[in-house]
Amino acid sequence: MVDQRIYEMFREIGRDLYTANMISSHGGNMSIRLGDHVIIKRRGAMLGNLKEHDLIETRLDKNDSGVALASTELLVHRTVYMSTPALAIVHCHPRTAIAFSLSRDELVPIDNEASYLLKKIPVVTEEFASGTPQMANKVAEALKNYKIIMLRGHGSFATGSTLDEAFHWSSTLEESCQIELAARLINEPFIEYRGMSASYSKF
Amino acid sequence: MAGWSEKVLDIDLSTQTYQTYPLDMEMARLFVGGRGLGARLLWDMVGPEVNTLSPENVLIFTNGPLTGTGYQTSNRFSVTTKSPLTGTILDANSGGFWGMQFKKAGYDVMIVRGKAEKPVWIEIKNDVIAFHDASELWGMRVFALTAKLGQNNNKRNVLCIGPAGENLSRMASIMNDRERALARGGPGAVMGSKNLKAVVVEGRDRPVINDPERFKFMLYETRKLLAASPLTSQALPEFGTVVLMNIMNNIGALATRNHQQTQFEGAEAISGEELSEKYLVKNSACWACPIGCTRISKTEKGEGEGPEFESTWAFGAQCGIADLPAIIEANTLCNDLGLDTITAGSTIACAMELSEKGYMDSDLRFGRADQLAPTLEAMAYRRDIGSDLTDGSLRLATKYSHPEFSMSAKGMEMPAYDPRGMQGQGLLYATSNRGGCHMRGNMVGPEVLGLPKMIDRFQVQGKSSFVILHQNVSAAIDSLVICKFTNMGVADEYFARVLSSVTGIQYDTGELTRVGERVWNLERLYNLREGFTRKDDTLPQRLLTEAPTEGPSKGWVVKLEPMLKEYYRGRGWDENGVPKPQKLTELKLADLLVRI
Repeated sequence: MVDQRIYEMFREIGRDLYTANMISSHGGNMSIRLGDHVIIKRRGAMLGNLKEHDLIETRLDKNDSGVALASTELLVHRTVYMSTPALAIVHCHPRTAIAFSLSRDELVPIDNEASYLLKKIPVVTEEFASGTPQMANKVAEALKNYKIIMLRGHGSFATGSTLDEAFHWSSTLEESCQIELAARLINEPFIEYRGMSASYSKF
Repeated sequence: MAGWSEKVLDIDLSTQTYQTYPLDMEMARLFVGGRGLGARLLWDMVGPEVNTLSPENVLIFTNGPLTGTGYQTSNRFSVTTKSPLTGTILDANSGGFWGMQFKKAGYDVMIVRGKAEKPVWIEIKNDVIAFHDASELWGMRVFALTAKLGQNNNKRNVLCIGPAGENLSRMASIMNDRERALARGGPGAVMGSKNLKAVVVEGRDRPVINDPERFKFMLYETRKLLAASPLTSQALPEFGTVVLMNIMNNIGALATRNHQQTQFEGAEAISGEELSEKYLVKNSACWACPIGCTRISKTEKGEGEGPEFESTWAFGAQCGIADLPAIIEANTLCNDLGLDTITAGSTIACAMELSEKGYMDSDLRFGRADQLAPTLEAMAYRRDIGSDLTDGSLRLATKYSHPEFSMSAKGMEMPAYDPRGMQGQGLLYATSNRGGCHMRGNMVGPEVLGLPKMIDRFQVQGKSSFVILHQNVSAAIDSLVICKFTNMGVADEYFARVLSSVTGIQYDTGELTRVGERVWNLERLYNLREGFTRKDDTLPQRLLTEAPTEGPSKGWVVKLEPMLKEYYRGRGWDENGVPKPQKLTELKLADLLVRI
């Protein structure tokens, strides 16, 4: 039985992802790690409208009946938890960031907030972008060094100690990309205001 | 290799000889430095057959690859030994200047073995090691001794014990740079048992950095982050750690009168605001620290460093005392005598409760500020009532047939945070490898301050994951060694990158946390080898059965058992709290399992 506090956290972050236009009606997923267990969104559930029965608890290191109900990207979440200190994962589809990921190998923010918080977001390529071992390994490898990464043309995976924290990195990324898009539309010369920003891409 | 000096100084006091030899670099890669390296070395040197105050116990002083580099707060060092207070593995770390100087002297590790026939002090000037007669220094207090031996902040640094260490008080600290302390668990008693009064260091070599450009970038970014965090740029510099007094009291998690209550009516009078307004002369900082949380405080009786939050609480709320000048003076006295303030204050509080309830014949009473200084003097010299108190609250309360009044875990007195109002903190105390300690991970960040994000302090399910993470990160930071306050403004992903830039070895964030997990499991193995079991992962009955009757934590006790079960599973341990072979293999510790 999932603690009511945990359910409320899932419900609130899921709703916020949807209202922030960072997922479609049935897109995205998220999970938290509880020791050797994972609580993850049920497959096909709507993140923006989660019910208590939409949270599935399953083992981290081996299968049980929970895998029949869990998100199709359970394998990615498990692999990330096994490879990093993360306690929470948010996967969503931030539209502007996805658009930028189509033409770049890394996203280096130009706005102050994301420069401060993220420095650099690597872009990972995987053709079969839905819960395959190849995708899981690539995402987990990238998340060893970065708290948020982009899967090219698909979406972001962010880690944190809480869902709140992983959501923070996700929304910061999308905001940063929207700012860069606007700056490009304005199309005026960029005035550098950050010290040592040339080192960001080496972060 | 950059970062490490790759050199061990191994001193035998019995023969007053020393040798130097190369540091095992594979060991260094796995355990990094500080607490981790100390634990790994102690594992080989001190087994269960060794009495903590015998010549066979050792003191292992370690710095880390970041020490002395100039990275923010890279001034710290550790001492590792078997604790005379708890019998567990013990490491204590300290800031100031001594650690940086020790690194500049060209060593990663200094091992002190044996026992000198007569009191000695040691002087280290890089390759020149001298043993000096300390007969005339024996009996001196810390402040006078530090001055006499030529303390000079950036050039010559003194580490020593006071009367408490000489008299083998099990709460004796080792002091450095006059008022910094390797405080907890009684390392000063181990030093006293060896007739070692002081170690003075002068170093001349700057640590080598592998990638200066990347290091410079990390310095730059860290400075920005520390300046941007209100905690590290405003709260700590302005109020010191005592800023927590009102915060903890307001949420009903300030242990009061030996944990009989969770709020103290006198909290405002001993708060950081009160300290800053009436007694603060200025703030000060350790070497390479931009935070500057150290208080220089003054009362009618003099001036001194501190007090920290835990010390203010220990002599304040825990003893029911709202007299801030008396608390400041008690803190300064402990520094001069070489006593751990948390254990000292909490032991006095335990004696106050025993006495008030008629189990102990003494006039100690809650609220009696006038009793602090004479009781501390008596403790340091093992005089009168002090001989009962100086070995800690558990021995005291056991002597008077009421061990339940000792507010300790594994024999170490817990600090200020009452875990009935912070469930995760309760699990953290119960599982801490050196006993009731807030520096082996601290849930104040996520449960109270919202660092990195707020979690419900009364939540039970899932809390173990946070405790495990914080314990691992804490062990990693203690192995670098830097100050944990840096982590209030800077995420651990930065520490991994700094370590990589200094050493040239690529540590990702997960790998650094894995170092912490390795250290934690090694410490657990050490305690298991010493005979500790699952039953020792517990808390005083008061915290498990007596709920506060008022305040924001009203009705709550620590729900330890479900958290503990989840914790063992999350750690990859069996139901008795023993690490499974698979976990030890994963952590590259499997070779140690056959030896317990």
